Amino acid sequence: MSASPRPSDPLERLRPLLAELPGGGAWRSQREQLWNRLLAAGLPTTRDEPWKYANLRLLARRDLAPAAPRPITPEALAAAPDAAAGGATRLIFVDGRYQAGLAQRLAPPSSLQLSTFAAVVEAGEPDPGTPLAGDPDLVDERLRAWNGAFAVDGPVIRVPARATPPAVHVVHLATGGGAYPRTRIALEPGAQLELVETHLTLGAAEATVVAATEVEVGAGAELTHTVLQVLGERAVLLEDLAVEVGAGGHYRHRLAALGGQFARLDLRVRLAAAGAAVELAGLLFADGQREQHVRTLVTHAAPRTSSDQLYRGVGAGRGRGSYDGKVVVGVGAAGTESRQSSRHLLIGREAAFDSRPQLEINADDVKCSHGATTGTLDPQMLFYLLSRGIDAETARALLTYAFLGEVLRRFSVEPVRRAAEQRVLGRLPSAELLREFVA
Amino acid sequence: MSGIHKGDPILEVRGLTVDVQGRRILDGLDLTVRAGEVHAIMGPNGAGKSTLSQVLAGRPDYEVKAGSVRYRGEDLLALPAEERARRGLFLGFQYPVEIPGVNNVYLLKAALNARRRQRGESEVDAFEFLALVRDKMKLMQMDESFLSRGVNEGFSGGEKKRNEILQMSVLEPTLAILDETDSGLDIDALKVVAQGVNSLRRDDRAIVLVTHYQRLLDYIVPDQVHVLAGGRILKSGDRSLALELERRGYDWVREGGAAA
Repeated sequence: MSASPRPSDPLERLRPLLAELPGGGAWRSQREQLWNRLLAAGLPTTRDEPWKYANLRLLARRDLAPAAPRPITPEALAAAPDAAAGGATRLIFVDGRYQAGLAQRLAPPSSLQLSTFAAVVEAGEPDPGTPLAGDPDLVDERLRAWNGAFAVDGPVIRVPARATPPAVHVVHLATGGGAYPRTRIALEPGAQLELVETHLTLGAAEATVVAATEVEVGAGAELTHTVLQVLGERAVLLEDLAVEVGAGGHYRHRLAALGGQFARLDLRVRLAAAGAAVELAGLLFADGQREQHVRTLVTHAAPRTSSDQLYRGVGAGRGRGSYDGKVVVGVGAAGTESRQSSRHLLIGREAAFDSRPQLEINADDVKCSHGATTGTLDPQMLFYLLSRGIDAETARALLTYAFLGEVLRRFSVEPVRRAAEQRVLGRLPSAELLREFVA
Repeated sequence: MSGIHKGDPILEVRGLTVDVQGRRILDGLDLTVRAGEVHAIMGPNGAGKSTLSQVLAGRPDYEVKAGSVRYRGEDLLALPAEERARRGLFLGFQYPVEIPGVNNVYLLKAALNARRRQRGESEVDAFEFLALVRDKMKLMQMDESFLSRGVNEGFSGGEKKRNEILQMSVLEPTLAILDETDSGLDIDALKVVAQGVNSLRRDDRAIVLVTHYQRLLDYIVPDQVHVLAGGRILKSGDRSLALELERRGYDWVREGGAAA
């Protein structure tokens, strides 16, 4: 028997490519620093606690080199929901690179400052953000290091103080090979933004996307961040999203994880100042042989901060998934409120979902709750529907759909919610009959 | 509408024997219900009343060990639950389940369409359907908000029971089995539910009321009363049997048992 390949092997193949990446002095040394850090740690394996549910073995044989630029026609983006209603700005990134020719509303309103990492690098400007979240004891930052070493582009979005620009829709299209988009979003005090991100693949391309996103929500600012992940069957998405929320700020994240072969989101939120709030909600749909993983870390670092998490997973066929969520209430975070709810439904006999909500409280006067369940369809609900003349297949599909409704109802961007609903319906049997119920 | 005439046999149960989780619950039960009749099945807790209701409706995890059930001459036990519903059998649940996310009215419309398709009729027109439901809701004194809510979601006990009778009145079953529809109702709600049931009495329909208490029978007067205990019908009679039961208790029947 041959020895199984070491998980860090894919990195060896990447090493020579590092020298070819753009950027002068400071950028180059940052890339090398991040690369060395990644190399020292190696790619995560299931022996690493934060990765115990998510096996990255499938990367061993993949082409992870950044994809060469490739022209794209607008038809390739047809699957993206039209979230452009109301004058939204639409930005297209192909394999992590900005495609100016496909953008809508090239000249953004004055209430919105749009740039790209490529433009920043080309201008020789310093990094507008920090590639690492800077919390090495608590979190696993290898994805951020990997992304930071190879990222050449990605949206840089800033909303000036008290501005409320129209929505921004970022479409990420992966065409095959590696993509390393790096995103930075900053809302200055009192600003508001609705941000939509869609992840797509060109056809059935074997793409690997390693994405890192930094979000800063200033005092009293409000960001609603909605993500529709509808990658193709052979795509892998590994994303690390780090959010910092200032005093009285509000961050909402909505995730519809519906596609890909393997997707994992590491979402860390730091409630940095008094009154900061975060709401996270996601649906994880793991059918076929798909894997959908979410890991969250919410840190309450200031008084009167609140967090609310709602995750619902469906495991069908041989799908797998996990929710691994930790809430840390720091010393001095008195008056904290925190809720965590994760429930998973298994409709495939070989499907599996893990759920691990954790709570670490270091302050007094806090209200924290968490609940987690994994189960099958409720036989009483099923019988009730059968007894009303609904056939068994439709009844099961209907209950599965209803199970996800709690999350879908939290999607405030109508076209995205509808796109997510239609995708879910399309994956369930009796889709036509179900549409009668959800009209 | 149905080619069913008063006096036609609707339900013929013979020697029905059922185990639930390895325990014998029904033990050779016989019962005949004809079109135009209202039957009341009374019995102490644990007698098998709910099991009988659920077995007739086709609950899959109840195991029929022996006996037969004919519904309008057909082998009922050979049909899956949804097919029984489509052929006009309706079960009003003792504990209607809440199904958040499945709209109450869409379910009702789908149920009606399933029944119509089985009869070879076209699907109901959306506007006519809504008008019909509104009309029936008025009869059941139900609030407009029922239209937009999830199935039984957040309903009080009484609202759930009214919702069951609303469904029954829209679906117009041939055989309605109402399992403890009176339990948990205050007297006003009981009157509304009874009025709903009475409005559905017809020559081509049979109704089986399963109940622990005689109280419901003050408002819905049955043609026949049966006492179910120990998994079989121990005694049958007219309405006076229910009154006598109330006076003398179920032990009276159990002791007299087979002699009845």
